[in-house]
Amino acid sequence: MTEITAQRLSNGMLALIREAHSAPVAACAVWYRVGSRNETIGITGISHWVEHMLFKGTPSIPAGELDRLIARNGGTFNGFTSHDYTAYYETLPADRIELGLQIESDRMVNANFDPEEVDSERTVIISEREGHENDPDFWLNEAVMAAAYQVHPYRNEVIGWRSDLVAMNREDLYQHYQTYYMPNNAILTLVGDFDTGEMLHKAEHYFGGLPTGPQIPAVRAVEPAQQGERRVVIRRPGPVPYVQIAFHGTGCRDSDFAPLVVLDAVLSGAKPLSFGGGSQTNRSARIYRALVETQLASYAGSGFGASFDPTLFEFQATVQDGHTIHEVEDALFAEVTKIQEDGVSEVELTKVLKQVRAQVAYSSESVTSQALSLGMWEVLDSYERMTRLLPELSAVTAADVQRVAQTYLTEQNRTVGHFIPSDKP
Amino acid sequence: MTDTRSADAITTAIRHVLPNGMVALIQRNSSSPTVSVRGEIRVGAIHEPAEKSGLAIFAGAALIRGAAERSFQEIVVATESVGASVNAGGGMNAGGFGARALAEDLPLVLDLLADMIIRPTFPEQELERLRGQMLMGLRESEEEPRTQASRAARALLFPPEHPYSRLSGGSAETVERITRDDLVAFHKKYHPAATTVAIVGDVEPQAVVELLNAAFGSWRIAGEPPAFSLPEPYKLQGVQRRDIAMPGKSQSDVIWAVQGLTRSAPDFYAASIANMILGRLGMGGRLGENVREQQGLAYYCGSSLDADLGAGPWAALAGVNPTNVERALEAILHEVGQFIADGPTDDELNDARDFMTGSVVLGLETNDGIAGTLLGVERFDLGLDYIARYPAIIRSVSAEAITTAARRYLSTEHYIVTVAGPGLE
Repeated sequence: MTEITAQRLSNGMLALIREAHSAPVAACAVWYRVGSRNETIGITGISHWVEHMLFKGTPSIPAGELDRLIARNGGTFNGFTSHDYTAYYETLPADRIELGLQIESDRMVNANFDPEEVDSERTVIISEREGHENDPDFWLNEAVMAAAYQVHPYRNEVIGWRSDLVAMNREDLYQHYQTYYMPNNAILTLVGDFDTGEMLHKAEHYFGGLPTGPQIPAVRAVEPAQQGERRVVIRRPGPVPYVQIAFHGTGCRDSDFAPLVVLDAVLSGAKPLSFGGGSQTNRSARIYRALVETQLASYAGSGFGASFDPTLFEFQATVQDGHTIHEVEDALFAEVTKIQEDGVSEVELTKVLKQVRAQVAYSSESVTSQALSLGMWEVLDSYERMTRLLPELSAVTAADVQRVAQTYLTEQNRTVGHFIPSDKP
Repeated sequence: MTDTRSADAITTAIRHVLPNGMVALIQRNSSSPTVSVRGEIRVGAIHEPAEKSGLAIFAGAALIRGAAERSFQEIVVATESVGASVNAGGGMNAGGFGARALAEDLPLVLDLLADMIIRPTFPEQELERLRGQMLMGLRESEEEPRTQASRAARALLFPPEHPYSRLSGGSAETVERITRDDLVAFHKKYHPAATTVAIVGDVEPQAVVELLNAAFGSWRIAGEPPAFSLPEPYKLQGVQRRDIAMPGKSQSDVIWAVQGLTRSAPDFYAASIANMILGRLGMGGRLGENVREQQGLAYYCGSSLDADLGAGPWAALAGVNPTNVERALEAILHEVGQFIADGPTDDELNDARDFMTGSVVLGLETNDGIAGTLLGVERFDLGLDYIARYPAIIRSVSAEAITTAARRYLSTEHYIVTVAGPGLE
């Protein structure tokens, strides 16, 4: 892997640049430290809606022209919003990458937020939410999040509550944009087949002169420790019962983050740690063997990812015919108990580490994955975490894994959700 | 301009035909320490009887469930212990198989794939586990409006004796009825002369040839690979529409479709460019511009052209609120009519050409992308110089040819519509 150049532009905006010469391709991404974490009831979904509005034109690149510009240059582009961040990226033939810089610098400050476009986008976003609502597990996840978190905004889905999507107006959106979209709250990442010096020069040209703004408002919410198990039930039309269990875990800057990642991998295989990668690793792991091989569940797995504030360590399963939701729930708890009581083996730790190494290698094939991973880690902690993480995970011991299972995966600390199919909408 | 390095990824690949007729395409890509294997066996749901619909999918998924001396768990333990994965699955026209691994583990995954493809054991207990998962999966997908709309559309476009009249996954009824003998008999149709494998990564091509000879050289099947001939599709007369009520859903999925063409049709490129302009370019071409951008009716609206070994549908799709179904349909018909009447504008044609030729490099960035392109080149007999010739092919298609192709296939008088969703109160 080549070096990463980290450079502050003259207005303080951070640019992260890495050369990759295997294919004549480059990726440009801009990251903002804003997401549903920065929202309160009344404006839930606003970060995601603002993201949509950044595809609706500026005075110099009107709506529609943006798509055409990218297409004409043989590129692809997109944006996405999460709890902790909003990101935009372009992947282009390397000799056209300047277009990405031009577009991102323009829409950081000049997005139109035309009132008619805002109204038209309202129905597009409500339609996006309705698409989610067609999936039974969306309802279950929404309810489990809202129960597991009582205070912290991670309780709200990124798409937002319907009532807020109906009520928000252009002024709300524009104010959100003006508060969070500025160079001191943004990170530029560039990976591809180019010369770093030339890219630094271009980055300075497009972004270095943009005015900085006041510090962004702090998120004050801290989720209090949970004082006992919580249970939620969703009854809606649906094909089969689903169970979702969530335990409060840690954020990625906590020293227990790495042991929890290893615990998750022991339970259901190592997942890609950021973007790209993706090799199936779950079928020899504990949960698959205990629930899917025994035909208690047609799907079962766990999940724990990197986040800014403490996030959830989760289990999900689809109940197979002939079994009850309670049997499946008990089988998941039994796997947790086994680790709490007996720990994990060195063989499992070795396997998990090799899986993580492979996932990192797969994700390095693509410049887009790399540009996205760099930005994500810089928002959550530091871009250097991308390289530090492997040694951190290697240092995790069997005793660490057992300890975090005992500390976090407790009855006191969990929320259990059931989706029960019912005839009545 | 297509960068020569990316065209090289295809033109300089090694094409090796094993004595048994199996074709191997090998490319070295040393940019990361990984390797991707992607292959296909051109035997699919087109070769199965209607009453055993789902057989090709079942057989493909069963390959990993036991092969030669290894059990399913032994296979997944062997791969997952080194962060690799192997997989296989059936499909409509062909079955697929593949692997991802660190380059050092290529011998292991090729050995396993050869066992799975040549010597599957179809153990009874594993088949029942797999059947259970398939039935659960079918039940879940049957409650998705998109699945229901697709199933209905296929039934309106193709007569019951045509394999495209069904979804390749089958139904609960047909999957219940598939026996181990059916799977064994279907597997006998697999033939090395109908098999292609593409291997791309940090590998020495000559060494890979030797590995392949060792793993697949002994695979001999008497006779020719299975032929296929498809019955005539329905000749559409007037408008046929089916509405499917799915209480409890939030969004309706709408499909508009006509008969399409095969990949080898002389006007394939003209139709592809027409489809690109109608429903792909930017945010869903003219359809996306009208339905999503102008009217704000949908989160997604676009078109797809399913041109493979057989002629699949040419379809427009949208996900909309149930109150907007008729408006979305009107908009789709308006755009189709407009395109038939006037064809592409000069700007649109230039944009489509620039996008299709310029974005080729993006698809050749990762090992998986290169391997997938190599498979397509072999399946449709395009020649390894295809990517180098591609820009000239696309630029040679005139506006007239595009309009002619659109008029031949698209229609505002003869088409089918299916709508699946909550329905109106």
